[in-house]
Amino acid sequence: MKPVIAIAKATVGEAIRRRVLLIILFIAVLLLLVAPLLGVLSARQEQTVLTGFVLGIVQLSSAVIAITLTVYMLPNEVERRTIYTILSKPVQRWQFLIGKYLGAVSALAIMMGLMAVVSVLEFGVFHQDWAKGISLLQAYGMFFVQMSLLASVAICLSTFVAPLVNFFLTGGIYLIGTLGYAFFDSFNKNPNSPALGKGLAFVVSSILPNFASYNVQNPLINPETTIQNPTMYAINAVLYGVFYIMIMLIIGMLMFDRKEV
Amino acid sequence: MAAAIETKQLTKTYKSKSRNLTVVDKLDLHVEEGEIFGFLGPNGAGKTTTIKMLLSIIEATSGEGYILGKELGDFDVHKLISYVPERPYYYEYMTGLEILKFYGSLFGISDVAHMQNLLERVGLADARNTNKTINQYSKGMQQRIGLAQALLNDPKLLFLDEPTGGLDPIAHREIRDLILGFREEGRTVFISSHELSEVELICDRVAIINHGVIVAQGKLTDLLAGGRVEILVGKLDRGVFSDMKIEDGNIHDTPAGVLFDVPEGSDVNAIIDGARAKGGQVVSIVPRKKRLEDLFVEAVRNK
Repeated sequence: MKPVIAIAKATVGEAIRRRVLLIILFIAVLLLLVAPLLGVLSARQEQTVLTGFVLGIVQLSSAVIAITLTVYMLPNEVERRTIYTILSKPVQRWQFLIGKYLGAVSALAIMMGLMAVVSVLEFGVFHQDWAKGISLLQAYGMFFVQMSLLASVAICLSTFVAPLVNFFLTGGIYLIGTLGYAFFDSFNKNPNSPALGKGLAFVVSSILPNFASYNVQNPLINPETTIQNPTMYAINAVLYGVFYIMIMLIIGMLMFDRKEV
Repeated sequence: MAAAIETKQLTKTYKSKSRNLTVVDKLDLHVEEGEIFGFLGPNGAGKTTTIKMLLSIIEATSGEGYILGKELGDFDVHKLISYVPERPYYYEYMTGLEILKFYGSLFGISDVAHMQNLLERVGLADARNTNKTINQYSKGMQQRIGLAQALLNDPKLLFLDEPTGGLDPIAHREIRDLILGFREEGRTVFISSHELSEVELICDRVAIINHGVIVAQGKLTDLLAGGRVEILVGKLDRGVFSDMKIEDGNIHDTPAGVLFDVPEGSDVNAIIDGARAKGGQVVSIVPRKKRLEDLFVEAVRNK
């Protein structure tokens, strides 16, 4: 386990210094800080708009950070030949991959944590509504699982796909997994949908990770929309995420083990 | 003496849809324990692929190999060996000591005093207590850090890929002395390099690889046997010696006179006497030792 922790720590150290990630993080924090100004543009309740906007910024920037962070992770190690120095030591390939993944997720946690702190302070300090700010943490928790899942998809694909292709592929999977599920659902429920289409929708929705389960903006923006048992819902979503992450990492490890580096 | 590295018919073929590319072909290597072994070859000859196979980073397509008596792929071997890549890259935000802590943790080594001793040994004593990060290090300092991390596990066998590449003459000499020190300690050193003069100075034995095939292998002293002697005779031209026959020798006209190029061990006195008898004046006698560069060019061209 020591090599995994060492590799994870080194990965965090490097990730939190990567300029491109820091720029994305800086823009996200900047947008979070100017978000209160946008409330006046809407006729709806200012805080509702603000909540949606803040959650949107955190989710979008976290997704961009997660993808950018992970797609180049393994190819960079090969290109810079650090992987050879590490793999010539008593380190198994799976330990290297898991270390890189845990490092990426930890770095993601740090960056998302910073955004979370900024947004909670924003509600607490500017709107004197600490309860609302703290209630967002639940959403951020769900986002974190979502982004960890996204990172596992990216790192799995990075074992056999070129970084640029991986960037768009993972981004595409994220978009379909986030927005496509509602479409698949309505398609399946529509009695006029062709059987072949239904079958195809079923297959696609079964293979792709369901990122939509972690989108809790709607209940927060529209408090009237309630989940029957939020705790069970959260537990199920987390378990689903962990299960899917494990599948992705196992596939990644098998592919990486055979990869000619 | 036991073999530190032994390969038999080791082959690596990359398969693609259009063709199969054999990068290393039936490689038979023998490196004895405690020696400095030079692994030479032009770019793309298969040196790095061979090292990757020996380090078990990639699998051989066929053949077999043993490192310190253990079969290639034996995970335990990694505790006994070390590797310094060409132009090593380390996590730039780390200091020298942090680099050693990182690589040490991969072995489960956390002895900071040992790491500081290693920094001192490779000439980076100043780096022990500074916050200077690796991206502020010169190329020579980075190479030294590479050697320090390679010594963390007290390895029996070190693989060094171009250890002096791109270094200034002083750094060259210091790294060379360190490598010679490794041999004194009984370690085996496997050097892949283009720096032929460097290899000639420090290696006991060499192998030359070209297009994935070993074209020469053996003791440097054996491989470099067979030098030449050049005798320059003034005041005459080549025509005077038209009846003279020298086995494996050549006679050329040069602006300074006639140049006899004969194998080492030839009867030089007879040539000199003959030249003087014809009125010639011996200007110089220069023994030319065979150099590794000559051997390398010869071996690579003949292939």
